[in-house]
Amino acid sequence: MKIRSWLAGLAMAGVAAGAMPAVAAEFDGVTVNILTQTGPAISGPMQARAPEFEKLSGAKINVITVPFSDIYQKLLTDWSTGTNSIDAAVFAPQWMVDYAGSGFLEDLTPRMEGDQALEQDDIAPFFREFSQKYAGKTYMMTFDGDFHMIFYRTDILEELGKQPPKTWEDYLDIAAAAHGKDMNGDGQPDFGSCIGKKRNAQGYWFLTSVAGGYIQAKGTSEGAFFNTEDMTPLIDNAGFRKALEVYKKTSEYGPPDELNLDVADTRVMFVAGRCALSMDWGDIGSMSVDPSMSKVTGKVGATILPGSKEVIDRATGEFVACDADTCPHAIDGPNHAPFAAFGGWGGGINANADPKVKDAAYAFFSYLSQPAQSNQDVTKGETGFNPYRMSQLEDVATWEKMGMGKENAESYLGAIKTSLNSPNMILDLRIPQNQRYQQVVLDTAVARYLAGELDVDATVEAVVEGWNEINEELGVDEQLEAYKATIGAE
Amino acid sequence: MSVLKRLTEPKSLDTMSPLGAVLVYGGLILWSLVVLFPLYWIAITSLKLPIHVSAGPVYLPFVDFLPDLHAWRYIFVDLGNDTLRPYLNSIVVALVSTMLAMLIGSMAAYALSRLEFAPRLASILLFILLGAVMIVAVAGFGVPWWIAAVVALALFLLLARAAGRTMRASLGNGDILFWIISQRILPPVVAALPIYVMFQTLGMLDTRTALIATYTTVNLPIVVWLMYDFFVTIPKDLEESASLDGASRFAIFFGIVLPLARPGLVATGLLVLILAWNEYLLALFLSSANAQTMPVLVAAQNATRGPQWWYMSVLILLMILPVIFLTLLLQRFIAKGMLLGAVKG
Amino acid sequence: MAVTSAAHVTAAPPERESLSDWLDRQAGRLFILPAVILILGFSIFPLIASAYLALSRFKLAPGGYTLTFIGWFNFKKMLTGSQQFHLLGTFGAITLLGWVIMLATVALVVWGVVRYVRSGRVTVVGSIGRLITIATALALSVLFAVNLGEGGQLGTIATTMFYVAGGVAVQFALGLGLALLCAKPIRGRSFFRVLFFVPLMVTPVGIAYTFRMLADTAVGPFAPLWHWLGYAQTSWSADAWTARFVVLIGDSWQWIPFIFIVLLAAIESQPRDEVEAAQLDGASGWQIFRDITWPSIAPVAATVVLIRAIEAFKIIDLPNVLTNGGPGIATESLTLHAFIEWRALNLGGSAAVAYILLFLSTIACVSFFNFVVKPMREARA
Repeated sequence: MKIRSWLAGLAMAGVAAGAMPAVAAEFDGVTVNILTQTGPAISGPMQARAPEFEKLSGAKINVITVPFSDIYQKLLTDWSTGTNSIDAAVFAPQWMVDYAGSGFLEDLTPRMEGDQALEQDDIAPFFREFSQKYAGKTYMMTFDGDFHMIFYRTDILEELGKQPPKTWEDYLDIAAAAHGKDMNGDGQPDFGSCIGKKRNAQGYWFLTSVAGGYIQAKGTSEGAFFNTEDMTPLIDNAGFRKALEVYKKTSEYGPPDELNLDVADTRVMFVAGRCALSMDWGDIGSMSVDPSMSKVTGKVGATILPGSKEVIDRATGEFVACDADTCPHAIDGPNHAPFAAFGGWGGGINANADPKVKDAAYAFFSYLSQPAQSNQDVTKGETGFNPYRMSQLEDVATWEKMGMGKENAESYLGAIKTSLNSPNMILDLRIPQNQRYQQVVLDTAVARYLAGELDVDATVEAVVEGWNEINEELGVDEQLEAYKATIGAE
Repeated sequence: MSVLKRLTEPKSLDTMSPLGAVLVYGGLILWSLVVLFPLYWIAITSLKLPIHVSAGPVYLPFVDFLPDLHAWRYIFVDLGNDTLRPYLNSIVVALVSTMLAMLIGSMAAYALSRLEFAPRLASILLFILLGAVMIVAVAGFGVPWWIAAVVALALFLLLARAAGRTMRASLGNGDILFWIISQRILPPVVAALPIYVMFQTLGMLDTRTALIATYTTVNLPIVVWLMYDFFVTIPKDLEESASLDGASRFAIFFGIVLPLARPGLVATGLLVLILAWNEYLLALFLSSANAQTMPVLVAAQNATRGPQWWYMSVLILLMILPVIFLTLLLQRFIAKGMLLGAVKG
Repeated sequence: MAVTSAAHVTAAPPERESLSDWLDRQAGRLFILPAVILILGFSIFPLIASAYLALSRFKLAPGGYTLTFIGWFNFKKMLTGSQQFHLLGTFGAITLLGWVIMLATVALVVWGVVRYVRSGRVTVVGSIGRLITIATALALSVLFAVNLGEGGQLGTIATTMFYVAGGVAVQFALGLGLALLCAKPIRGRSFFRVLFFVPLMVTPVGIAYTFRMLADTAVGPFAPLWHWLGYAQTSWSADAWTARFVVLIGDSWQWIPFIFIVLLAAIESQPRDEVEAAQLDGASGWQIFRDITWPSIAPVAATVVLIRAIEAFKIIDLPNVLTNGGPGIATESLTLHAFIEWRALNLGGSAAVAYILLFLSTIACVSFFNFVVKPMREARA
């Protein structure tokens, strides 16, 4: 591996120079095993920065990679059986509850409080206060800002004389108008809206993104999945039903095999110029300036997730119009609820690792997250890290230079800023065994709905029944406690 | 001769009629295309840039698109050691486990084909029950005794059909054979976690040895079954005369029977090698950094930016090439059973 | 274990038995023992552990995890509870096709029973075994019938049976055909033999991704063909049955070489002199196949079909990569079902599905073994 030759070179250089900075000896001889997904995204920047970190601190960083879909299980197996061959990991905050709740993760609060170089205040409040924490303590360090946005083709919208969508009605309107036009000059008709609806992929997140604006209006602590009083699923109401219908309607303006496309496919399609609208994390932004895959450089705009002018009344489940009372965080009318799906890759440390190893792991994570390194990484698409620090969102110039152009860069960073500043962000579900709720029950029901096997009522019933069952199996009160702890509800 | 007759009659014993030749070659060539096209597609995808893949199908290098070596460079140069280590692991694990499986399995298959085993059902049950109780106690599940009994009963029901053909309470070769192949029925996804725990207790996680032991055991049933059928077709005359001359069973097995069964050995050996080479789930579980094998690396190319078709294609090609090479080497051993005819005659 | 008669009579044993003689006498045991020990070692613990898992609930807890015994709950949930749609599918009014399937199964059962009774070798355990087989066959046929009815959907059991029955049938037919073609006096037999073997060499995960590329109706190599045929606006992945067929095609592409190579070796091992004699006598190709080739390869063919069927029950890579089990749950096999549950930490549910698969697969394979493989072996002997 490149790192070995790097190390050899560095070692020789160090010996030849004869003197090393004082702090270099701090972690000499310490090896840290860090698990994450196979690159180039996520593991790439870690592997790239490991040599320079070793030069600074003496710690050897060993990046172990596995397929993304296997990270969760691998960590759980390693830590819950006491094997502890993995010292730290970079993974999804959504999984944190299973690890932290069982005591596998190291509490990072004391370390982070004393860490000036980290510049915590610069980290967007949502990640700092919600994403990194569980039950009030910080267990993860953020490297990446993850939430859903809408991307649109500025040239197509201009041609149609439309504004970026503010509500889902707008979205459908634009998709309908654009569907069938040739948007990449190859003579084939293209698609109005491309959303990754494949089963067992990201579909359940996209659905929640559609539903959020109808369901949550009073801030993150109101919760978007369950009622914070008694853990009743927030499914059997007008908002969720409307969301299902909207979600299905977007398929009318999408590719014929949309049910078999996951987000990796749709983002590639969008930057190849075949979609007018798409919903995605921030990746489309950085991919759009990659010449090896993009045909739409300079033609991509971004906006916060569309919202709704009506939200549900929690007591009745019916719609009420948005006003200062019901939608305190509305932006120019509609209520928006940006969804921090997945949460953004972050680093967590094995509580049962060697103390010196833990310190070294923390130092490496801090190094990665410090503005000097992080600001570089988030502007490079292939790292997989999206902006999460407020200062990164002001840095229009870098994105502009990369080929986005001033307007697109402002649009992209602006959408991120608006989303991150919203007090009404939806925190992803982080109660124990959340995968069962989302992947097994919600995703299957939605997939069957999209395939025409179930109608709206049957879908709602399936999700409610499934979620209630899991609540009962795991203990309604315990799940409620965990739920309130993650969203900071009283 | 009429035209039809001339078309449908073979010129001599060892050739085909003209019509027959057309049909046969036609069929073979058709299937060759079916086999080759996906492989061709993999090969050219390894030379494509992402834009070539997402914009629409391009078929001919240099004609439709300019081939690019970025994928090959990334796999070989940028990832260098990260590709070499899994590759070596795969080679070692597959070769060693195949040889062990062939040895142990052929011996078992030979014994089953020549000798009558009649294990007492009662003793088997007792053995299983004892082993079960012992393992449960060791693992410290704290399982109530009647759980173990219920499970033992379940196992008994599985074997009952085979056991009671005659009123003797013992099993025969056929039952042993069936028990052996039934090991393949349980889906690995369920067995993976207990096997993980087993190796963790032994401290052998992430080692090639663990993978070799697991693959050998997992592929044994296939060797036993396929070799059993081959051994049964080998007439016993040669062995009988050899043993009358005083040769030991081992000498007969290694000196006479194995060479005769070469077609079967090669076919089975290649199959088992491939199964071990391509195995994914158990490798995923039992390895992390040191013992990782190629299939896990291939699957990992499905990243958040889309399946990295180009890298994946390079890895797939890297995986196929040694197996093709080995097949080319060994395929001449799958020759017709010449000696069988000689013995019979 | 008791080793009874060896195949021959030795000369009178010497006064003192040497080590090599003792070894020779124990040869039978020694030959088979390593295999038995290895298999026992690796199978008992997983089997028992998974049985326990299937009867319990896994929960993460501070310090590790807890396993609470809950009895048949996981099974009940899947067979009669909220997950019934997943395993058994949804039931619809039975149509003509359903009746045909059920009647055909009943006819087969009756024929089998009549033959059995007539054979005169009826035993208690033989009857019990056949009852199990009959009950399972009838239950499956009813399941198929209701799944295929009006508004019904196939569950993972029915989908898996489709992959097994349909897949193995296609693979056997094509594999046998190719082996016969290759066994003819052709030039370049080695070339074809190696070439046809290649699909098996590709790792299943790789094949799944390759077919995903090939089957892509927008940017795949066949896309122009679909567009020309007018299918530009539809996709195979949006319809349940076409999706299942694509999985079947991918599966067949990979596994036909397995059947091909074994059958080819078997055909090449058939008694050459008999074939030559028959040809000299003027027998046609079909007659030679029916009277000489088929009887000599039938046992191996039955074995290879059995092995293939056992593997086919476990199909997971293709449905997982091609469609993730979609659309809806149309292409989800039992192993994929277990895998999804397991990935979501529902270890109990996952083990329960795996055990259902185990029972189904065992009954199917034991039945096949007893009613097809053994008679063929006995016919040869």
